[in-house]
Amino acid sequence: MNYRPVLAVVQREVLKLFRQRSRLLSAMIRPLIWLLVIGAGFDAMLGRTGADSYKYFLVPGVIGMAMLFGAMLAALSTVYDKESGVMRMLVIAPFEHYWIVIAKVLGAAIAGIIQAVLLLVLLALFGYLGSDIHWGVLLLALLMTALACASLGILTAAWTPTLDNYAVIMNLVIFPVFFLSGSLYPVAQLPDVLRTIAMLNPYTYAVDLLKHANLSMTGPGFAPDFSIATDVAVLAAFIVLATVVACLRFSQESRYSALIHVLAKKGGG
Amino acid sequence: MMRDAPDLAKYLAVHANGLTKQYGETLAVDRLDLDVPTGEFFGLLGPNGSGKTTTIHMLSTLVRPSSGQALVAGHDIGRNGVKVRGAIGVVFQDSALDRTLSVWENLRFAGMLAGLTGKVICERTDELLDLFGLGEQRHKSVGSLSGGMRRAVDVARGVIHRPQVLFLDEPTIGLDLPNRKKIWRFIERLRAQTGMTVLLTTHYLEEAADCNRVAFIKKGRIVKSGTPQSLIDGLGEHVIEIEGEKLDGIVNDLKANLGEPVLEEDRASFRFSGSPADLLNIQADLAPRVTGLKVRRPNLNDVFLWVSETEALSRRPGERGVRTAR
Repeated sequence: MNYRPVLAVVQREVLKLFRQRSRLLSAMIRPLIWLLVIGAGFDAMLGRTGADSYKYFLVPGVIGMAMLFGAMLAALSTVYDKESGVMRMLVIAPFEHYWIVIAKVLGAAIAGIIQAVLLLVLLALFGYLGSDIHWGVLLLALLMTALACASLGILTAAWTPTLDNYAVIMNLVIFPVFFLSGSLYPVAQLPDVLRTIAMLNPYTYAVDLLKHANLSMTGPGFAPDFSIATDVAVLAAFIVLATVVACLRFSQESRYSALIHVLAKKGGG
Repeated sequence: MMRDAPDLAKYLAVHANGLTKQYGETLAVDRLDLDVPTGEFFGLLGPNGSGKTTTIHMLSTLVRPSSGQALVAGHDIGRNGVKVRGAIGVVFQDSALDRTLSVWENLRFAGMLAGLTGKVICERTDELLDLFGLGEQRHKSVGSLSGGMRRAVDVARGVIHRPQVLFLDEPTIGLDLPNRKKIWRFIERLRAQTGMTVLLTTHYLEEAADCNRVAFIKKGRIVKSGTPQSLIDGLGEHVIEIEGEKLDGIVNDLKANLGEPVLEEDRASFRFSGSPADLLNIQADLAPRVTGLKVRRPNLNDVFLWVSETEALSRRPGERGVRTAR
């Protein structure tokens, strides 16, 4: 396998990200609303300041959010590719079809990382980042989180026939994954049922890994729930599993969708 | 499965044997045998739903045949899909382009997917845009182009990696006449320049007149094949069309001498081969008995109509498709 097809898919993803300015803008505004509005609101309500401030706790969560939305939506564009016909260019190209899935995951992950880095720059400007960031862990966390979100996106795309049910994906996948993680509250403090669900949610470990990067100066009450090794192991297992399942599903589906194409086609010969 | 036969590719770009595709109860392609010599411009003709697109999808490895085998450019479509896809180009009925990207970005994307280097992609893009007269559209988004230009870019997209075999599935569908002609000029130039084998499907039969050979497909079977001229010549020298309200008696009279007609509502068409004097006699005899009378040269449409009518009558169920003559 030549690397150029993978590069082509990644390049197209990045090109489209910067071309769709509104998508990029909303990817920046959404986390900032959480941080500046909800974070400040809770702080006022709970009377918290300084290292115990809730808005500092939210920093890893909103960085994760930028990647969850950014990488998932980029991976979900696979559905758009099927609808618009661009997928034909991919399925007719001379490589095994599972490479389409792998290239899409990589492209979506890179789109997610770009959005997270842009958000980090904004947060630094707003004074939300601390001086003692663990850069190595941050790099690892960005990479693993972006890949996990991208593979979750491709897994969702493999079962999504059209983007008409976009709101369904939003409500049934993205929101539960985000809210049932440690993004908004420490997992250890959740009630038993919610904690169990959160521990089954791979995204929980992504946010936890981001917390290990020590992005803002938070107090000991907001410490990560798991070890770095646990986070990395769970995320790696999820990325591999989700990508393999999506590859299998996709290799069936390319033949399946061709069938639909033939039968449902207006005037197809 | 067939063994890959690279040597065969020198002579046969496509070699299919008993290719069959069944979707549930529907038999889309029925034991199709097809040989397309290398370098040939071959037309697979037939009405909508006759199995043309399914055949192209099987040959381009997008759909797995239910049974039968095929070699494309010497590679087995079942066992060696990646090699087949490396040797072919496909222009689908619907555009495969990304409308949000520019012409250049689309061609670069297609070139990179085929594994070409940046330098080669630049050269080929220049060459193709020049050939199709689209140089000025290079940086325009595909969504802003006219339907005809978009199709031309889609053809360029399909050939940027210089495939040995190009599949064109209804390349001019939905285009107006000037744009259809333009697309054909591009394809003609491409063939002249590269010598690639082209397998075309269309139901605009007049577009297949330039093919080296054509095969008529109906209900997933090839019912007749040959050069367009030999098929037209084989039909007869003239087609006599008569129109009228009660044609049954006249049709029965003529059938005895002229063979099976093609019947459409209040019109009947007969084939005629014979002396000009005989033709004049028939015309003189028919003129007072019908409301419309026309004598004209046959074309590919007529071949297809007669094939559909008469093959259906003479074919027994279970009979094999006709192997196309080389």
